[in-house]
Amino acid sequence: MKHNPTESDELRRAITEGEVDAFVVGNESNRRVLLLATAYQRYRQLVERMAQGAVTVTAQGSILYVNQRFADMLGIPLAQLYTAPLEAYVGMGDRARLSSFLMLSTRNSQLELALSRRDGEQLPVRLSLATYADGYATLLVTDLRPMQWPSLTVDALDSIRDSLEKLNHGAPGKDAAAREALDRISEEINGLARMIDEMLDVEGRPEAR
Amino acid sequence: MTTTERWDLRLYTAGQSPKSLAALSNLKRICDEHLPGRYSIEVIDLMKNPRLAKDDEIVAIPTLVRKLPEPLRRIIGDLSNEERALVGLQLRPHKGEAA
Repeated sequence: MKHNPTESDELRRAITEGEVDAFVVGNESNRRVLLLATAYQRYRQLVERMAQGAVTVTAQGSILYVNQRFADMLGIPLAQLYTAPLEAYVGMGDRARLSSFLMLSTRNSQLELALSRRDGEQLPVRLSLATYADGYATLLVTDLRPMQWPSLTVDALDSIRDSLEKLNHGAPGKDAAAREALDRISEEINGLARMIDEMLDVEGRPEAR
Repeated sequence: MTTTERWDLRLYTAGQSPKSLAALSNLKRICDEHLPGRYSIEVIDLMKNPRLAKDDEIVAIPTLVRKLPEPLRRIIGDLSNEERALVGLQLRPHKGEAA
């Protein structure tokens, strides 16, 4: 470690006074962050993987943390959101309601409003106050647009239908054509299953045997 | 220090860890009070990319790095002690030093 004696003293002081809660461990090729509270680590994995947006703000509404899903909802790079006022991403007409919500809400309170995306589109969402601790509020953000099946899924279903028709109308005894059609159906179904997994944000699931 | 120079600050965090949230909140408050309109804060979440710790030799989180004005300064911790943070950033002289 190249830290000079003064910085080593500073590190020792910060640790003994409980001002740090994570350390960078490992070597050049394999660095990782070791969190002191494992319970927090599990919570964080949930926040990062869930399909809802999550944003933590101060009582004044400055953003301290967002997950990737929330950044995607706004169409804004995650790094640009830190310290920005949350109200900057809310429609003008909803700002006063947001301010009241942050000041007066209790756990599980909800507010529906529109987020202003970078592309100018308004995104209807529901904010739910998940936690309020140490002066910070963590909000869960649910996209209220009706569920849209990706056009890719529709294409895949059309493709399955074509394959089934081929199978039904194929001349009897044409085994090779039937096998080909069945393989195609199997491929399409696997593709659909993968897509659904991605949509549900299922990660780390053991592979099917 | 002149009153017009830009301050570029980089805060290394570990996602939404309590100390990371506290550090960012404290840093924003200190900057708004002492460096209004002439600072930028770059937040680097090492949970997302731990390799970035190498750039500034980060070992503990949160750590604040003052990139500008030079010289580079590093402050470890959640910046909850404002007096110490101001001294660390050289926004306030250390006790015993001339102002």
